Amino acid sequence: MARKRRRPDPVGAELEMTPMIDVVFQLLIYFIVTIKPIDVITNLDVFRPAPDQNAKPDEKPPNLVRVGVYQDGYTVNDVPATPERLDEALAKVASIDAGQTIMITVSAVSEHGQLVKALNLCAKNGLKSLSVVSASN
Amino acid sequence: MKKQYPDAKLDMTPMIDVVFQLIIFFVTTVNLADKANETNVRMALAPNGPVEETKDPRTVTVDVIADGRIQIMKTTLSEGQLFTILNNARKTAGQSTPVVIRGDLTTKHEAIKRVMDLCGKAGLWKIRFAALKEKA
Repeated sequence: MARKRRRPDPVGAELEMTPMIDVVFQLLIYFIVTIKPIDVITNLDVFRPAPDQNAKPDEKPPNLVRVGVYQDGYTVNDVPATPERLDEALAKVASIDAGQTIMITVSAVSEHGQLVKALNLCAKNGLKSLSVVSASN
Repeated sequence: MKKQYPDAKLDMTPMIDVVFQLIIFFVTTVNLADKANETNVRMALAPNGPVEETKDPRTVTVDVIADGRIQIMKTTLSEGQLFTILNNARKTAGQSTPVVIRGDLTTKHEAIKRVMDLCGKAGLWKIRFAALKEKA
């Protein structure tokens, strides 16, 4: 490039850093302000029995664990339970057989958050075979 | 280098040009990727949920907002429209196409049930519920 002149003039070779650093700071501030942290999303798998199956709801096979999700709480095998109690019951089921099918019956008026909470407890205890059935009431 | 060529100036302009091109490229593409997943839905927390493995590219994400309306990418759909979409998904991508239902935590189960029933009617059986593993 500049081979022609060999004057000992280091001043001319000075690179002006100030505007570059200014711009970099502007960019840094812009990104820090605009960045939106991304939530970690998880997907909870469920099995949905075909709605047109002709099995009556009251003749459940005995090896199913029934969890009910209602507007005001949960039930385990038709016994009302707190979330803590549900967790304990699921842990007990999982310790016997983690492949056990859990049938979750959800009331139509319950909030979706409650179902997710129940599914979360199932995932916590390693239960994977989850069947979600919607109750008509 | 300074000793050998005291007058040599490094031309920064093309370098900065390239850096700006890269910045603009990444800013625009990152926003595009986020747009598809943007939602007003407040998901319930499920800290014990499984870690999301590689996402199936066929996944259909259906949002159910708090008042029970069904949305895909922020567009409100009627049940008939959703059924058409799910049915087309089944025809083009097969029965194992996953449907992710992203329900608001206050949505009544009725609304979720409607989406699940439509999935069943369309022949899609792989239903998953999206939840927040970790809130950022």
